[in-house]
Amino acid sequence: MKQKPRVAIFDFADCEGCELEIADLEEEILELLEIVDIVSFREVMKEHSDSYDIAIVEGSIMRPMDEKRLRGIRSKAKILVALGACATTGGVNKIRNQWMHDEVIRDVYGDAPVQGNELFDVYKTKALNEVVPVDYYIHGCPIDRDEFKHVITSLALGKKPEIPRYPVCVECKKNENICQFELGAYCLGPITRAGCKAICPTHNSPCEGCRGLIKKAETECVWEVLQRYNLSYEDIRRRCTMYNYGKEECQVDE
Amino acid sequence: MNQIKTISKNDLNNFINKLIQDKNYEVVGVKSKDIRYVYGPLENASELKLDHDVTIIPPKKYFLPQYETLMKYDLEKQFEVKPNMEIKPRIIIGIHPYDIIALEQMDKVYLDSQKDDFYKKRRENTILIASDIQNVSDRSFAASMKTNTTDKGFDLLLTNIEDKYTVTIGSEKGKQLLEKYAKTEDAKESDIKKIDETRKKTINKYKKKVKLQKEDWPSALVANYDSGIWEERSDKCMECSSCTMVCPTCYCYDVIEDVSLNLKTGNRIRTWDGCMLRGFTRVGSGEVFREERKERYRHRFFRKGNYLPARYNFVACVGCGRCGIACLPDIADPCDVMGSLAHYKKSDDTARFFIKQKTEVAEANTIHVPREATIKRIEKLTDAEKLFEIELDDKKPLGGKPGQFVEVSIFGIGEAPFGLASPPSDSPTFEIAVRKVGNVTSKLHEMSVGDKIGIRGPLGNGFDIKAMEGKHLLLTSGGIGMYPMRSLIKYVLDKKNRKNFKNITILYGAKRPKEIIFLNEIEEWKKCEDTTCKLTVDRCEHGECWAGDIGLITTLFPKIRVDKMDSKNTIAVVVGPPIMYKFVIKSLQTMGIPDENIFVSLERRMKCGVGKCGHCQINGVYVCKEGPVFNYKQIKVLPEAFE
Repeated sequence: MKQKPRVAIFDFADCEGCELEIADLEEEILELLEIVDIVSFREVMKEHSDSYDIAIVEGSIMRPMDEKRLRGIRSKAKILVALGACATTGGVNKIRNQWMHDEVIRDVYGDAPVQGNELFDVYKTKALNEVVPVDYYIHGCPIDRDEFKHVITSLALGKKPEIPRYPVCVECKKNENICQFELGAYCLGPITRAGCKAICPTHNSPCEGCRGLIKKAETECVWEVLQRYNLSYEDIRRRCTMYNYGKEECQVDE
Repeated sequence: MNQIKTISKNDLNNFINKLIQDKNYEVVGVKSKDIRYVYGPLENASELKLDHDVTIIPPKKYFLPQYETLMKYDLEKQFEVKPNMEIKPRIIIGIHPYDIIALEQMDKVYLDSQKDDFYKKRRENTILIASDIQNVSDRSFAASMKTNTTDKGFDLLLTNIEDKYTVTIGSEKGKQLLEKYAKTEDAKESDIKKIDETRKKTINKYKKKVKLQKEDWPSALVANYDSGIWEERSDKCMECSSCTMVCPTCYCYDVIEDVSLNLKTGNRIRTWDGCMLRGFTRVGSGEVFREERKERYRHRFFRKGNYLPARYNFVACVGCGRCGIACLPDIADPCDVMGSLAHYKKSDDTARFFIKQKTEVAEANTIHVPREATIKRIEKLTDAEKLFEIELDDKKPLGGKPGQFVEVSIFGIGEAPFGLASPPSDSPTFEIAVRKVGNVTSKLHEMSVGDKIGIRGPLGNGFDIKAMEGKHLLLTSGGIGMYPMRSLIKYVLDKKNRKNFKNITILYGAKRPKEIIFLNEIEEWKKCEDTTCKLTVDRCEHGECWAGDIGLITTLFPKIRVDKMDSKNTIAVVVGPPIMYKFVIKSLQTMGIPDENIFVSLERRMKCGVGKCGHCQINGVYVCKEGPVFNYKQIKVLPEAFE
């Protein structure tokens, strides 16, 4: 048998929830270990190795020291996979990019002496692909476990994972949901990448766009829909801020 | 004339409850879901809503489920696959006539000469208890499509005639079910009169009416292929394909692999796909054939109003109005779109985008499950190309004609089409040539002699050998177009067949000398009697060894001699990348070769290979079924063929 790929899982600015989704595979973790060797996974194990083939990286890049560390990971890994919205789009961490940097520091840390401490030396939030090339993306906040399994098995089989490039509506319709717009809500499903099995609208909660936008909010079709449902551009822009602030700066269409 | 019974409302409830209690069946029906309706399992007759207006998605989900495991495979074994035919008998209650008609249309597509075995089994195991429409959806225009009522296609049909229901018996199965479980009486003449009255009353409830009679859709569409309305309307399209997902006459699908985390087992799953999605036509090399949004938008209306009518003689819209409800910018409703064509000129040439062609199909029990085969020999052609000799494990010859193709399966990775690179023979082996571009091709390149793969085919229509007999042949190929061309060249140069053809001229071009394949064979071909071979490369870098011509393939044409007299007696065959056709065909025409003497082989996303999944369509034709080889005179009028 071929040698199992060595996998290392890392995190930056995030809630570690996507890593938790992996840990939550429970018994299936054993199946995962049949096909890969996990050599680093801070959330669940003490051991660490710097020798790995696949790096799975969660979190956003916020500081020069993060950037340096990520470049180090990239140089060691043959394949780099971005895990979860913080890593793929910048996620909720990018919300703060709309304010001035000093303002954010003052609001969060007040008068605490953070000047000159590299741990607090934050700049504008970046998704991973704004710093290093990313080979594959596992989108979502949190990720979908089945999609994680698909990506991992694909890589183990030596094939390119197939991540949907179509909107959430496709999966939402297959689930026989009543459209959120019809229920008087508004939803980012039509412009958000599918792959989540439309989990939010299926549980009667509009899509927040956590898997990244596949169409800009500033297109004619979106305007048409906003008008039909008496929504303003501000409504949709505000909702896009949650996971897709400054979408034009980051590339999510791999 | 159908036999008609009456049943009291109470007895109808009892009937349905008895059906639910019968453990031989899964009983599903129309139920409420918030402000809308869905089909779902019934636990009690009280859940059934026979007064529903329309369901969110049609009952097609019971025949072509959203996700359907077609087969299960074991990756630890060399080749072990089992079809997943666990299909339980089911009763569906409450289907409206337009959905019954949609299902009858789907039968035409799925139960044609290449029957879908899964669909067939589901269909055979389902009893349809239809219901006449009581309430009409705001968006429905079924009355003007004449699909608001039907007298066939169901096993039983319920009609609410105020104080009770009538039950129209549509089949023996329905009759038996009724006799077994229901207390009914023979309908009186007054009851039957009431059915008509009820239906008439319902017609008045329709708010929407299509302005263009459905009989005129095919001709109005042909006349408006290049109309600005496609672009104008599609500018507002979200490309979400909600319209196709909810449509009872949209049944295109994709097939995906689902592998267990430990890579031991896997499922091959079929799931709904939509032609509004950009990736729908994407092939392994990344090319998308319906690139523009307006082309995809137009395709949907043409498929419904022109392509399927030309092929099967029905308009594939039943006026249910679901797409109108589902489309957020409200641009999908055929009632509005076709209505807007009402005042345009019409064309008589309604079958213009269709090519009637009989596909030679081998009888098969399944269209999905591949046959086991073994890789016998691998030959490296170039850095990115290999030739595989494959043997079917049942040791039967593959058969078929030059120009046909096979679907190659690698479980866990996927399935992809490959043109045959060898001519038909009595041996159980055949050859395909593979350039490494996508998942399946890359995996094939990693495989070794003795490894197992799956084969479906031969599929499609090959070269028209009959038309070539007694003629000069001019065979032009570019790049990997040489793969299928080789099957033809080897066939016509075969000693058994050579006498059937006059002079043979082979023209072949590649980008670089190192991409020229089958060079040894070409040397042999050159030695054949009355056979000319000319090779060219687009460019030759310094230091590369090359004795042939340099220049595009078209530069070879002035170097061969085809007398004006002979041009009518010459059959030309062209296979190459999309960009090549336009220029080569122009050269052929300049030589005086008539269009009907030109044959081309085209590439599209041939996923199912049997004219079902919809991905390879060029206007009204399926490349996998009517093609991949086409007569140029026939195919040239299809605007999507050579864009």
